[in-house]
Amino acid sequence: MTTNLETLPASDKKSAGAGKPTNHRKPRESRGTLAFSRAQRTKALTKHAILILAGGLMIYPLLWMVVSSLRPNELIFREPGLWLNSLEMSNYTSGWSALTHPFGHYMINSAIVVIGSILGNLISCSMAAYAFARLQFTGKKLFFGIMLLTIMLPFHVIIVPQYILFSQIGWVNTFWPLIVPKLLATDAFFVFLMVQFIRGIPKDLDEAARIDGAGHPRIFLRVILPLMVPALATTTIFTFIWTWNDFFGALIYLTDPDMFTVPVALRAFVDSQSATSWGSLFAMSIVSLLPVFLVFLFGQRFLIKGIATTGIK
Amino acid sequence: MPLFPRPAAARQPAETPSSRPARRFRKTGAVAAAAAVVMALSACGGGSAPQSADGTVELRFSWWGGDKRAQLTQEAIKQFEAENPKIKIKPEFGDWSGYWDKLATQVAANDAPDIIQMDEKYITEYSSRGALLDLSKYDIDTSKLDEAALNAGKGDDGLTGIPAGINAATILANPKVFEAAGVPLPDDSKWTWEDFGRIAAEVTEKSPKGTYGAAAYGTDEASLGVWLRQNGKSLYTSDGKLGFEPSDISEWWAFLKELSKNKAVPSASEVVEAEAAPLDQSGLATGKNGLAFWWSNQAPALEKASGADLKILRFPSKTGSSADAGLWYKASQFWSASSRTKHPEETAKFINFLANNVKAGETLLADRGVYPNAEVRAAIESKLTPADVKVVKFIDQIKDELGEAPAPPPKGAGAIQEIIKRYTSEVLFERLSTDEAGKKAVDEMKSAISS
Amino acid sequence: MSAISELSSLSRRKGKATAEEKKANGRDNKAAYIFLLPWLVGLVAITIGPMVMSLYLSFTDYNLLQPPEWTGADNFIRMLSDARLHNSLRVTFTYVFVGVPLQLAVALLIALVLDKGLRGLPFYRSVFYLPSLLGGSVAVAILWKQIFGTTGLVNQVLAMFGIEGPGWISDPGTALGSIILLHVWTFGAPMIIFLAGLRQIPVMYYEAAKVDGASTLQQFWRITMPMLSPIIFFNLVLQIIGSFQSFTQAFIVSGGNGGPSDSTMFFTLYLYQKGFGQFDMGYASAMAWVLLLIIGVFTAINFIASKYWVFYDD
Repeated sequence: MTTNLETLPASDKKSAGAGKPTNHRKPRESRGTLAFSRAQRTKALTKHAILILAGGLMIYPLLWMVVSSLRPNELIFREPGLWLNSLEMSNYTSGWSALTHPFGHYMINSAIVVIGSILGNLISCSMAAYAFARLQFTGKKLFFGIMLLTIMLPFHVIIVPQYILFSQIGWVNTFWPLIVPKLLATDAFFVFLMVQFIRGIPKDLDEAARIDGAGHPRIFLRVILPLMVPALATTTIFTFIWTWNDFFGALIYLTDPDMFTVPVALRAFVDSQSATSWGSLFAMSIVSLLPVFLVFLFGQRFLIKGIATTGIK
Repeated sequence: MPLFPRPAAARQPAETPSSRPARRFRKTGAVAAAAAVVMALSACGGGSAPQSADGTVELRFSWWGGDKRAQLTQEAIKQFEAENPKIKIKPEFGDWSGYWDKLATQVAANDAPDIIQMDEKYITEYSSRGALLDLSKYDIDTSKLDEAALNAGKGDDGLTGIPAGINAATILANPKVFEAAGVPLPDDSKWTWEDFGRIAAEVTEKSPKGTYGAAAYGTDEASLGVWLRQNGKSLYTSDGKLGFEPSDISEWWAFLKELSKNKAVPSASEVVEAEAAPLDQSGLATGKNGLAFWWSNQAPALEKASGADLKILRFPSKTGSSADAGLWYKASQFWSASSRTKHPEETAKFINFLANNVKAGETLLADRGVYPNAEVRAAIESKLTPADVKVVKFIDQIKDELGEAPAPPPKGAGAIQEIIKRYTSEVLFERLSTDEAGKKAVDEMKSAISS
Repeated sequence: MSAISELSSLSRRKGKATAEEKKANGRDNKAAYIFLLPWLVGLVAITIGPMVMSLYLSFTDYNLLQPPEWTGADNFIRMLSDARLHNSLRVTFTYVFVGVPLQLAVALLIALVLDKGLRGLPFYRSVFYLPSLLGGSVAVAILWKQIFGTTGLVNQVLAMFGIEGPGWISDPGTALGSIILLHVWTFGAPMIIFLAGLRQIPVMYYEAAKVDGASTLQQFWRITMPMLSPIIFFNLVLQIIGSFQSFTQAFIVSGGNGGPSDSTMFFTLYLYQKGFGQFDMGYASAMAWVLLLIIGVFTAINFIASKYWVFYDD
């Protein structure tokens, strides 16, 4: 056993050193369906039953929201349950055009901010993470501590000084205050996340690359990045969702209604002192959830592209 | 324009390290220096108010409200711009809670909008700290505005708010609930608080489970204000202090507890839930309450949400005479201007348009309450919805019964409503006796408005 | 000797070897600072200034509308006698110590179930993640009320059994519990991180263990747990930091007032009320730095403790 295990990393080196990991292994996903003994089938069925039940409970509130968006406004809070007597699409049509611009306008605004943020986070955070996880340098512990400190201070006391800063640069009412911080890796959450992932990658792999004469940029790009696809996928998904849903930042920095992002636009349906258009609010909430949901469905493929499928046995 | 125009306080810590060579001050010095950098940054720019070569002035106008108000207000802006081609108005809007966070941040960064929709709750907060312009120095015609509402915007710092609408505290009745229970609607010209309690309890008794005769009071300062006025006290005195004793507010809660005991009002849990609910999910709107406490300008929205032909009632009194109900005209909201605006003349011109121009009135209608300008009010009456007309009629009807105008809320009064709410739920959940709650609440209120 | 114990001793040996290598390699200051450049620029240009300013403001009386006035430690002294602040600390600590372990346990459990071995897993993953997509949406308050209100779903179900339930979100006794439940309900983020972490564990370890006849439970404790420990550690640290700052859920469900009777008045909610509601930004800043201190202590404890249970492959 001992020899068996210790020889394994050697084969890793080969595949990683070759630069192009070969995929000669079936994804683990399908393994459960290979054998179909009766006992396994019952086991799978019970699992499905439990998952469906638990999942149903989990998303009951969401189902209620979907159903409500298909009800006439005045019935939303009068009719309990999930039963629909008629399909009312008017919430969608009127909600889409209720604001100054069609709702798609705000979704495009959001998309601009989201894409900028994702690119920023992926590039800058992975670079910082590589330094923290793999390189030795003066002040490493201090910098790491400072990085953690920056996520410990509640943002409500930061927002005013930061607003002053950005308003002096003249960036208020542009997307820059929402994107530039991401380009500069101020989201320490993701730096820390990537550090933890990189530290989980066997160090023999970069040693091998180093012996082959690769420098840090090459090790980073050719060895580490391909192996941390799950972490990059996680970062992409989270950045997408959190930026897409970010209300406070967009509220403070975007003043012109033309610049509103989705969460701020959604608030325009809410009028706590008068009548809220609940039907439109729910309908547009669901419309705005769709891209997020699609990104998640698509993105999770990359989550499971871990070491398991990149050539390391 | 400096953000912090009084540098003495800011400089104090920065001077420490040079005047005292001691080592341990080095840290403070560094901190202060960094803070000074940020503040110096904020000192150099100043709010941008572009004035282009052709003399066009751009003003920023900020308000809170939903999509309907946004449409109406933007329509009014267009009409103003048509009359004044040299002035451009840039709208900024959002919902109530975000509005105040944003406004505070903008004022702190010296980046406030020129025209600001203001609420009674915060106007003293902003005006006493010099953030609002004294509009009496500019060309705004106030002669046709209702005097009581106009006075609400006056303070030590001048006229910092022009009323955008008139409001009165009312009780709204849902006739459907009364009909279903077989109880006649009360006669609001002569009812007392005892009548209120008796009728509400009767409705509850004759209604299906979960329906109550009345909503609870105790979630805002208006209902307390009315109660105090009927007892010869007031929320605030004219010199900015509390106008009542712990025993006064204890009595108010004691009566609420009695209502609760008789099931005239919903259970404690339901009251708390109703508090967090938006207007269109309130008990009155969903047909779960027969009577409820609301401002008059909210009646049309509630009527729409409830689908019932709501009736606007006067508050009950102690004596059974409506002249003793102690109601008053309140400004539903104000038009204010930033004290740092670069274009006070143009700003005043726009506010004057909103307050006095019939065209503005025909667009805005009763969205922000009954028009304070009597001429505009008369001119637009034919265009109002039946629900709005009902409100206008009620406002006119109580004109001769009004009590003395209340003193404006002092600085720090923004916290009062929250304190009232919190102790009301302490009382309803029986975690505090009414006496204890009265003492504690008054202590807290005193420290809120004195600091 | 079983493969599993072999594995753990192997990993220990590996750790030593690399530590020695590091010394030999020396430092890569130049490369490191180049990689850190974006982060350093962000730190200096965007992050540090506002942080230092808030530290300065915590020693002042600052109402946002007028310049701050230096008051020394006044704000901190006021905190000592602020009963509502003490209550908010109690609420926050309860939330952290109940909510974080509960949410992480659920997230790990679901992640293990959804990792492999069943058809339709991508679909299930999406379903279980859906609630977390909602984030701080205004709709959440309404949804939560539909379930936990006095006439909500839970009480309707209870009524079938003849039980009259309390108003879960409006009763001071149960309101915090329902917010904790809301927190647990949105376990999607840590679940995804666990899933990604699980994918990083080389399959060979499990195969070797299977050859040795190790049970599923043994595999979990001897392979999954140690290999996943950096990720568990990450989730633990970040969830604790995040939960101490928890704001949105309580803000939305209570309509911003932390009610009923302050039972869901979280520390940051109180801080926000002080800063923006009552124009006491000096006090709010002081509160923020006290919170930073508290979180800092817990994070430090976490890092020290991690030396005993977190396994790194470097």
